[in-house]
Amino acid sequence: MNVAVCVKHAIDEGELRADPSGRPQLQGAQAKMSTFDRNAVEEALRVRESKGGTVTVLSLGSPDWKKSLKEALAMGCDRAIALSSPSDLDALATSYYLSRALQQKGPFDLVLLSEGASDTYSGLVGPMIAGWMDAPFIGYARKVQVEGSSVGAEVSLDDKTERVDAALPCVVSVVSEINSPRYPTLLQIMQASKKPMEELSVDSLRDDRAPQVTLKVLDVAAQSVNRKKVIYEGPPEESARKLFDALRKEGVI
Amino acid sequence: MKLFYPEHRRALEVFYEKEADNYSGLLESLAGTLEKEVAPFSATFDANAGGIAKARRLLFEQGLCRMPFEFHGGLSLPFGVYLLAMELAGAADAPTAMSLAIHNTVAEGIFRFGSDDQRKTVFGDLLSGRKLASFSLTEPSSGSDARSMHTTATKEGSHYIIDGTKTFITNAGEAEVYFVLARTEKGPSAFLVESSTPGLSVGADIPKLGMRGSRTAEVRLDGCSVPEGSLVGEDGRGLDYVKSMLNGSRIVMGSICVGIALTSYQKGLAYAKERRLFDKKLSDMQVTREKVANMRSDITSSRVMCLYASRLKDLGSEYASEAAQAKVLSTEMATRVCDQVIQLFGGYGYTNSDVHRHWRDARLLTIGEGASEVLRMLIAAKELGASG
Repeated sequence: MNVAVCVKHAIDEGELRADPSGRPQLQGAQAKMSTFDRNAVEEALRVRESKGGTVTVLSLGSPDWKKSLKEALAMGCDRAIALSSPSDLDALATSYYLSRALQQKGPFDLVLLSEGASDTYSGLVGPMIAGWMDAPFIGYARKVQVEGSSVGAEVSLDDKTERVDAALPCVVSVVSEINSPRYPTLLQIMQASKKPMEELSVDSLRDDRAPQVTLKVLDVAAQSVNRKKVIYEGPPEESARKLFDALRKEGVI
Repeated sequence: MKLFYPEHRRALEVFYEKEADNYSGLLESLAGTLEKEVAPFSATFDANAGGIAKARRLLFEQGLCRMPFEFHGGLSLPFGVYLLAMELAGAADAPTAMSLAIHNTVAEGIFRFGSDDQRKTVFGDLLSGRKLASFSLTEPSSGSDARSMHTTATKEGSHYIIDGTKTFITNAGEAEVYFVLARTEKGPSAFLVESSTPGLSVGADIPKLGMRGSRTAEVRLDGCSVPEGSLVGEDGRGLDYVKSMLNGSRIVMGSICVGIALTSYQKGLAYAKERRLFDKKLSDMQVTREKVANMRSDITSSRVMCLYASRLKDLGSEYASEAAQAKVLSTEMATRVCDQVIQLFGGYGYTNSDVHRHWRDARLLTIGEGASEVLRMLIAAKELGASG
């Protein structure tokens, strides 16, 4: 069972600062492995632990992106493939180059990703990779089970959980509830630098199907939430009653 | 709560140049674990006066205690990198860090002075965390004056019979291995006593001002019979070993205090930026800015002193005085910084345990592992010679 897992070196949302106008300061923002991608790596390792084989981690470049690959290697992945790109790519181009790398460096039985990156959260790359590879796609899996030549998954939908089965090779995106990612030990972090990491330029992967980058980010703005700031005046008992009624009306209690 | 800052990376760059990137990666990952799994529970450990076992277990698994040692699963990292790791642990939860630091002091003692057999068995168990260690030196009537200890070890055939009482013992009741100082015919000597040894008993937890998450109790040894193979190193050399072990331990305690101070300082800084008085932010007042500048300088200089002493240790130079200086400077710095943060918070600082617990934690370390007064005597003796 050869598993591939794709990760993104994403902006650390916890460290993101806003300028005085409330606009996120993306320039110089710290980055780390996308939060949910650690769940995808963990699931890949669990599949390997139960079925044997190898786990390969891939990431398509952004500044310092090898840090995320090293973290995945420290968690237990066997090898890494770092795709470098001279310019920013949109989801379509990203999925194209990742699928090309998967085809060149595979074959892989199972490709895992997270439901979406913790910074942009488009959730597009996974299904698009499946499209490029002409493979089935299962999205939002909360449980993954490989049996023989197929994969079964419990999928979280808005109001229910559904069981989906597909033939391997298959692309699966997982939700964060699927597992608790392991913490690499200090020894594993030290050993990770000795594991193989191959660097590939996206130029070396291009064929005549290569898409143009058509999506441009014009602006990034923070969503502002205005609180109601209601103050209930009067004696304590009366204002407590008003607060209770209001909370009950909102469905909070 | 964030624990790894650019200042840590800069310190690594200054002290370890080419390896700084690798060491930063290690510490950043450790910080990530501490941020998620230890720091969020620190206030609860303080409130409940206990509960650090799970956090300590996690840090054993991470390999924190393996960092400064070679062989038997050690990671052979410079002592300064271990210090910064202990600073991060201290910033996340000081009692957990202190418990592990004392455990590792015993591990160092066994590694440096123990027999091959003790290194192969007990040392390996301590590094992996299969066993927890406790350092049993202080007695009810002899704290800093260890020479006047009353605990005895009497040779009977192939065994020693140990009798006496130790007090203020960290990890007591949880440890599987007690590193005990007892007087033989040849003088103070070091022994490893298993917790299961008949005659070893642990008193009730001693309530403390701070460091409440860790356990502290009396350890009583009543006719404890241990095989002669339990003797660490040479008979009668125990106090020499302990002095040497405490040099490294003192720098670690200094680093834990740097961590305590940094956490307290960050809380104070955040509060000063939010709190408004007299129509302006606390952080815009000159008197606050002076406090911030003093606290910032205090923290940085203490960290540098700890790293300097650790480099001397790694280089094999004499460093007893520098270790004492690092501990005096850092522990007193931490009480000063945490006190200033309480002042910044005003009434909320005095009444909110999540603010004042840092001062309470730091306060222990000007006393334990060599009180400031004793360490000043040691520093001055090096400068002026022994006093008449």
